[in-house]
Order: sequence, then structure tokens, then C-alpha cells
Amino acid sequence: MTGFPNREVLLRWAPLIVLLILMLFFTALEPRFFSVRNFARIAISAAPALMVAVGVTFIILMGSIDLSMEGAVSVCAVSFAFVFLWLGGSLGGWGWLALPLTLVAGAVLGLVNGLVHVRLRIPSFMASLALGFVGTGLAMLMTGGDRIRIEDPAFRALLTTRWLDFPVMIYVAGLFLLLGWFIQSRTTLGRNLYAVGGGEDLAHGSGLNVARVRIMGFMLAGVFYAVGALMAVARIGIAETATGNGFMFTSITAVVVGGTALWGGTGGVWNTLVGVLIVSVIGNGMVVIGLPGYLQDGILGLLVIIAVVLSTDRRSVSIVK
Amino acid sequence: MTLHQLKPHFPWITLLALVAVVGVAHPNFLLPANLISMVADIMPLFIMALGMTFAIYIGGIDLSSQSVANMTTVLATIALPGLGLGAALVCILAGLTMGAVSGFVTTRLLVPSFVSTLAVGGIAYSVAQYLSGQRALYMDVTLRDASFGWMIGSSFGIPHEIVVGAALLALTWFLQSRTVFGRALKAVGAGEPAAAASGLPVRRIKVLAFALSGMLAAIAGLLFSAKLSGGSPTLANGFLLPAIVAVLVGGTPLTGGVGGVINTLIGTLIVAVIRSSMLYFEVDATMQQMVFGIILIVAIAATIDRSKMRIVK
Repeated sequence: MTGFPNREVLLRWAPLIVLLILMLFFTALEPRFFSVRNFARIAISAAPALMVAVGVTFIILMGSIDLSMEGAVSVCAVSFAFVFLWLGGSLGGWGWLALPLTLVAGAVLGLVNGLVHVRLRIPSFMASLALGFVGTGLAMLMTGGDRIRIEDPAFRALLTTRWLDFPVMIYVAGLFLLLGWFIQSRTTLGRNLYAVGGGEDLAHGSGLNVARVRIMGFMLAGVFYAVGALMAVARIGIAETATGNGFMFTSITAVVVGGTALWGGTGGVWNTLVGVLIVSVIGNGMVVIGLPGYLQDGILGLLVIIAVVLSTDRRSVSIVK
Repeated sequence: MTLHQLKPHFPWITLLALVAVVGVAHPNFLLPANLISMVADIMPLFIMALGMTFAIYIGGIDLSSQSVANMTTVLATIALPGLGLGAALVCILAGLTMGAVSGFVTTRLLVPSFVSTLAVGGIAYSVAQYLSGQRALYMDVTLRDASFGWMIGSSFGIPHEIVVGAALLALTWFLQSRTVFGRALKAVGAGEPAAAASGLPVRRIKVLAFALSGMLAAIAGLLFSAKLSGGSPTLANGFLLPAIVAVLVGGTPLTGGVGGVINTLIGTLIVAVIRSSMLYFEVDATMQQMVFGIILIVAIAATIDRSKMRIVK
């Protein structure tokens, strides 16, 4: 080993370096980018996406993929709105019960996803894509295409109350990120996720119930989607079928750009944090320096390809479908 | 006959059974005029599904079809005043390029096709937004009729969309069943390592398959925009799910290698009958997406070849 940074070290730090370069770049072009106000704006737009991306991180760590998040977020958002309003529409009364119930709804959606994938032996990208469509359809059916307003000041305080210039939801997101980190590195489930992603044969051979781990992974992801849904509703004050729109592209991009390999086994929630920040900084920075926002999808598309290419060990992969 | 022998016949039996059920309950459904307009309406989707067939046939997937079709509706509308019929050529080339890029990224850069096509779809979406200025655009009707009128007219009671669809079906069927390329596609779909070992240029074949998928998605978008006389970056939204459903319900499994464009024709007709039956049985339109999502899961579970997948990821 020479002192020169080798491929692995470089890959490990590349996402963070990219994030710093992007921030320098946008600050150089438009100094207003580098302000607490703007950082708060970036954080607000990043918080729901971060929760969804942390959820899908667990799945990608297993070497699977989940494309159901748009449907799952919509269903969670809409069911939250219905239950919340039915229980009185205020966090002060019984309305708070809607919060844990939404998390349960997310877990159930994840369970269905995991069962379809594992028990019917359908590749996860297709099982979850189909269930995502079902989810969006279900949300459409529940709302009949209407928007549901959530105006409870206590719930909206997630956005409106600020501590140190940042809304409360940023701190909540931070707590859930820590929870994600704890699950990933300090629990058996977390270790098992890595084991399955690192090599399913070995994991199976050493007596791990791989099917169970996979299903648990999907349930865990579902809970995080539900948290993301709650934040998305708190951010705009509306729950509708379209609440989930855009989460798939953003979260998959964020996870992959953050350095979690699509093949599983490496990366984790901190990578996802960096990835989400990269995606949000690009989105925000482009608007701040006056580029049209719609270029974002194209740039993220290119970024995703580059990230997958860089993170692929070309010697170990033979067939790609 | 065992279940295994019966399996290839499931799609058309399903189709006939569905037609019979709807026809018995609502005899109006079987009127030729009704059936013809139903088939004509599904043609843009059918053409997209034809392309999707090639991507799935080699064991991949194309999630960019909808965005490519969206992009072409905008492209066709913008290019029409300057280029006339040449606009069609521009659209076809654009689709071909997008598909080839997906294929290149998948085969050379080793990015799985569901990610590479998702990314290329994002690029197509940005291009559509840029070209359209994020607005819905309209074609000048005289210009449209002069250049694309032949696509959407009707002769002897047969709408021309059906003729376009049939011509593309004939062309893709010929490619798939009567050419060396078609044989090679089947070899790659049936078992990629074996195909590579027997000296086939697997990468080139796969790139071509994705390029075909992109091109047909573009033609679908072109026909759709001619039909609606306009274009927008979201015009073809809602095509992706039924297009995948059509391919899989028709009997081309996600694992590739069997099935083909005729299966996709049957699959598309099944989608069309289910759609109109929902109208006849007064099922709420908001149910549609959920129903198709569930059908998709059932179709995949029924057709997928599990012997090809040792580990399901």
C-alpha cells in the first residue's frame, strides 16, 4: 500500500467531496446561496425525501430495490389525513393517534411488498413497481381525486415553529436519521441486512432466515416512508394522491449518488444523508443561480448513471439485465 | 392436457373469456363499430408495448418509454411547422437515440436496465420540459392534416391507427421471427451466458433491443400527439403501467426468452377489454390503476420462469 488514496478510499469520500464542490460552486456564482435562510430552505425540501431515502437504503443494502415509495407515501399521507380529521383534526385531542397509525400503515404496506416479493418469488423491482401503482390507485380511490387540507396549527408547527432558524421537522428528521443509523449498525436486523446484501448464499448458509430478513427490511422501509409522508403533509398542509409524486426518482438517485452500491452490502444511512443533500443542493442551487428547475431531472439522471458506474466493481459483475 | 401444456394458451383464452363475459352482459359491446373504435383507441399504447416487448424479451425492462413518448409529443408539435412530415423522422430518430443510450449504459457501463432507463427517462422528461417551455402545445390543424392526416383518418370503416399498428406489428413480427437478429434476441433472452459463449455479439443485440423499444415508444408518442393534435411533457402519462401489463399479460415473462409481439397484441387487447368493461360495469374510473397494478402482480407471478432465477433479488 502506498500513501496514495486508492480506489476504495476515494469512492468512500467522493460523495462528500462532490457535495462540498457543489456548495462552493453555487456560492461562487451566487453568494446568497450560502446563507442560513437558504440552508433552511434546502433542509425543508430535503427532510421528507431524506426519510424516504433512508427507508429505501435498507432495501438497497440487501441488494434488492423498492420502487413503491410514491404509492406508499400517497397512501400513508391520505390515510393519515382521513384518520386525523376523523379523530377531531387536532394533535391536542385524539388526533395524535393518527401519527402512530400512519407508521403502522407504512409497515403494513411494506409487509405486503415483502410478501409479494419473497413468497411469490418476483424480483423486487417489479413487485414493488406494481405495488407502487396499486398504492397510487388506492390513494386515488380513497380521495376520489380530492385534496385534503390539514390546518391544525399544532401539526403544522412542524414547519412553522423554528428553533435556531430551522423548523422543528428538521430536528425530527435528524432524530429518525439517528434511529436509522442505530438500526443499521447496532441491531441484529441491521447486521442481517448487510449480510444478505453482501452475499445471500453465505447468509443463507450460515443459518440466517433470509426470507424473514427481507420481509422485515421492507417493513422497516415502509415505516420510514410513512414518516416521509407525514413530513410531506406537514410541509404543504395538503394530503392528496400526488403527495408521493417525484419521491421515487429523488430517493433512488440520492441513495445511489450517496455511495450505497446498487449491488448491496456497502453504504448506509450517512451515505444517504450526503446523497439527499447533493440532490437538494443541486435542485436549490439551480434555482438560486437562475437556471430553470426542470433541468434537474436530466442532471440527476446523468448523475445516477455516473454514480452506479463508479460504484460498480467491473470485475465482479458479468451479466447486467 | 396438463397445466404446463396449457400455459402458452392462457392469454388468448383469457381474452376470449373476457370478451364473452362483457358481451353477454352488454351485447352492445360486441357491435363491430364499438370493437373497432376500442382497438383504434388502444393503438398508441399497443405500439409502446410492442417496443417494451423487446426490452423484456431479452430479460430487461424499459421504464423510459412513457417519458420518451412524452418527449416525442412535444418534439412532433414543435417540428411540424418547419419540417412537415420530416417531423416524424425527427421523432423516430430521437426515440432510437434515447433507446440506444439506455442500451449502451446498460451493456457497456453495467448499469441495470431499470436504473439506466429510469435515468434516461429523467433526461427525456427534462428535454420535453425544456422544449415545451413547460406548457401544453397545440398543432395547427391544417398543418397536422397535411403531414400526419394519413395516420388518423379512416377508410372503408377502418381507422388508420389500426393500419399503422398492424404494419408495425407485421414489421416487428418479421424482425423477431424471420431474421437472424430475431433468433439472436431469443438466444440472449433464453440464456445470456450461453449466447455469449456461442459467439453472439450479445452487447450489440441488447443495445438494438433497447433502441427498438425507444423507437417504438417514440412512434407511440407521435401517433398520440397527431391524434390529440398537440403535445405536452405529461401528455402520455399513465401509459407505462398498462404497457408493461400488456406485455406480461400477453405471456412474455419478465425473465425473457419466450413470448413475443403476437403475445403483446393479445395482451394489449386484454388491457383494452378490461378498460372498456370497467365502463360497462360502471366501475369507478379511480379503480383502474389499482386493478391494473394487481393484474400486473398476478401476471408476473403466473408467467415468470423461476428456474432461471436462483436468487430472487
